[in-house]
Amino acid sequence: MPLVATSAVVLQTYRYSESSKVVRLATRDLGVQSAIAKGVLRPRSRFGAALEFLSEGEAQLYFHDSRELHTLAAFDVTNLRRGLALDMARFAGAAALAQVMLKMAPPAPLPAAFDTLTAGLELLASASPEGVEAAAVRALWVLVTELGFGPSLASCVRDGAAIAPSDGAPVAFSAADGGVFCRRCAPAQPPTQLPAEDYRDLLALNDPAAALPALDAPHAAAHRRLVARFVRHHLDAESLSALDSWEGHAWAILSPSPAAS
Amino acid sequence: MSAIDDLVTELAKLPGIGRKTAQRLTFHLLKQPPEEAGRLADAIRQVRERVTVCGVCGNLTDEEPCAICADPRRDGALLCVVEEAADVGAIERTGRFRGRYHVLGGRLSPLDGVGPEALRLERLLERVGNGSGVREVIVATNPSMEGEVTATYLQQVLRPTGVRVTRIARGLPVGGDLEYADDVTIAQALEARREMSEAD
Repeated sequence: MPLVATSAVVLQTYRYSESSKVVRLATRDLGVQSAIAKGVLRPRSRFGAALEFLSEGEAQLYFHDSRELHTLAAFDVTNLRRGLALDMARFAGAAALAQVMLKMAPPAPLPAAFDTLTAGLELLASASPEGVEAAAVRALWVLVTELGFGPSLASCVRDGAAIAPSDGAPVAFSAADGGVFCRRCAPAQPPTQLPAEDYRDLLALNDPAAALPALDAPHAAAHRRLVARFVRHHLDAESLSALDSWEGHAWAILSPSPAAS
Repeated sequence: MSAIDDLVTELAKLPGIGRKTAQRLTFHLLKQPPEEAGRLADAIRQVRERVTVCGVCGNLTDEEPCAICADPRRDGALLCVVEEAADVGAIERTGRFRGRYHVLGGRLSPLDGVGPEALRLERLLERVGNGSGVREVIVATNPSMEGEVTATYLQQVLRPTGVRVTRIARGLPVGGDLEYADDVTIAQALEARREMSEAD
């Protein structure tokens, strides 16, 4: 039973017994893993306070090849990400990102996906207040792509023809088919018609090197819907609590100024 | 299945009780006089039949409103918001808080499907609203990530009411030892340091 040290982000925690927690970790070297952290709810635990949702650190795991639940021996926190809790939109985006990682990532080494997750969380933490929506949409698209579910946006999903939106015509998009259609292949009634400007925004949102597009509230809502529908389709899930909450701005029901946060 | 197995199975469903402990408890009960076990059974039945949620604060109670809400000596201008009814007991044990409570019934946790609609927020706004006399809301949600985001949300929804919103302090436990405290707690205690006064 080797002791493995790996970078990790806490994706979910459950209370287990009076003094322990079960944690779901996104690890850099082992993929998404579950581990029991014994005694961390005791006041004198050396790392209990660090085992919080979204905190990042160096985890030491007693890794059992044949088991699904490992033992967490230590967790040296490097980034607690408490700043995300000070803003509902940032927190909701981060929770949706964590849920995508939990649902889509296998328990196998995924260094690139782990780095994409942490980069997405950093982007959410550092985005300007007006850029938070676009940052969350980008973080989700980029993570989905890194996990192997990325949409085909530059070429037609049917015949591979390059998409040229320069003529200003709308572009057909289908979550079920996994991307955009050229004009020849587009179904008569595509699930989504992206106006040329929205298609350009979608390309930018999927390109980590591009500047984040400025999205007004209706366009941000449309992009949230698009990525959420895409994820739900590829996970074959009608509902994903954190993604649904982020998509629908669930916190806005009582909050007087959700966008101001 | 025998009566013994039945009881062991039921006891083993309780949090923190494994099958072995359930067996020990079962055999312990069998050694007691019958009226002792009867009292335990009655107490369990009564607690299920009589204890409800206080319509005012959300605390668990066997009278409506609960004893804290009904107590005229309590300071109605101070409202302490907690996640669960068990937290009321924790604060009451200190004997230092003379205000009233509001139990949310959970904390925001999108991954667990708990959104604002699942918490008793509208009732809180009613209690804090115009003419209620509430001057200060103390947010005593847990210092976890979800507790913090719930506190942030409460601050947002309470802002229009103009009431003072405060957050309980975080830091080192009394009687604790710096050497044994975790890094996060020490860092937060340093951030939340304050001027020393005569009372210290």
